[in-house]
Amino acid sequence: MAHKVCLIRGDGIGPEIVAAVETVFQAAKIDIDWIEVQAGLKCVEAGQPIVPDETIAKIKEVGLALKAPMTTPIGKGSVSPNVTLRKKLDLYACVRPVKSLPGVETPFKNLDLVIFRENTEDLYAQIEYMATETVAHSLKLISEPGSERICRAAFEYARKNKRRLVVGVHKANIMKIADGLFLRTFQRVAADYPEIESWDNIVDNQCMQLVTRWDRYDVLVMPNLYGDIVSDLAAGMMGGLGLAPGANYGDKCAVFEAVHGSAPKYTGMNKVNPTALLLSSTLMLEHLGELDKKTAIEGALSATLARGVKTYDLGGDATTSGFAEAIASELKG
Amino acid sequence: MMTLHGVDVYLNTPQTPDLPKQIGPFELNLISNRGTRVYPGPAPDLVLGDCPRCRYLSESEVTGEQVDELVAHLTGLGWKWVKCQKLFRKDGIDQFSQPY
Repeated sequence: MAHKVCLIRGDGIGPEIVAAVETVFQAAKIDIDWIEVQAGLKCVEAGQPIVPDETIAKIKEVGLALKAPMTTPIGKGSVSPNVTLRKKLDLYACVRPVKSLPGVETPFKNLDLVIFRENTEDLYAQIEYMATETVAHSLKLISEPGSERICRAAFEYARKNKRRLVVGVHKANIMKIADGLFLRTFQRVAADYPEIESWDNIVDNQCMQLVTRWDRYDVLVMPNLYGDIVSDLAAGMMGGLGLAPGANYGDKCAVFEAVHGSAPKYTGMNKVNPTALLLSSTLMLEHLGELDKKTAIEGALSATLARGVKTYDLGGDATTSGFAEAIASELKG
Repeated sequence: MMTLHGVDVYLNTPQTPDLPKQIGPFELNLISNRGTRVYPGPAPDLVLGDCPRCRYLSESEVTGEQVDELVAHLTGLGWKWVKCQKLFRKDGIDQFSQPY
């Protein structure tokens, strides 16, 4: 029976990288019933919210979505479609695997990390005020339930995937109350997983250690803002945002997405790297229990990169569609 | 020059509070929990904290005394507030953010 998945084709280069994923999925003979839902600039231009209520309701009903990048309009009252989805669907766990790929040369050999970013609170609660004419307040909201479920998600992932270490990342030396609550919660949850090694680290030190001793680390868990920054740092270590997959999990649904933007200046040029969305879609296959298909696609991607077929961002001249066709050929071969 | 138009009152309660829709010149504009709007609906299906933010707003300018009276009214109804933040506008533009 076909798996039902909601599909958001996105803005800018979104539709092109979605088409690349469809090419690869067809070659891999994956039976997906794509249910197209609307979100992004087209909705705003039609006078609708950037993520209409019908889209939220459909993703809740289906429980799963694959999402290409969308553009956040600039201007008063504009909201991020990505943050809207995370908030309205309570997708509290942003999971960003960061792994070296064959044929992608970086100074960081044998990189293999998984970053768990809390996705719904912290400074992203978007509670801001001008308190006086000259002073702005932005409220950092950390809750015990919010911290507990992201830490537990990280440890559960480590247990399920036989990972050896979970590190809690914070700035509790300065934000002793808010980050202190996150740290205490991390330590309490860690005690429930005695077979998994754990320690905590201050976020600035963690950034330094990632680029000097990345092989020490395994699973990292942190509040929202640090997760935003550290996961992009780690994506750069992997070779760039064009390669980095992402998944957002809640208790009732999951949304898989490339973490890069919609790159409007490359729209229609058949130029950008579809790897990030393709690897996000293989995370989705894992979520669906299609592990053989996941392994086959990732193997075909690795083989394609290893024989030097690359898009411009990796120094190659393959087009988006050409790169997808090359992966499809590996699967058919 | 900023003008005063309302107040965000953070209550200590485990559920979305059933509050008066109007108090003096103020209307209940929204309630959010952990930064996400839960009133008016549709309320998303999310984990709630015990500190909802209740926003009372007035289109016309109000006084600090009227804000004090609103907060005292809520206290009189038995609600326990933990934090209040006055809401200003400048040149007709809100000087406070909107929740998702």
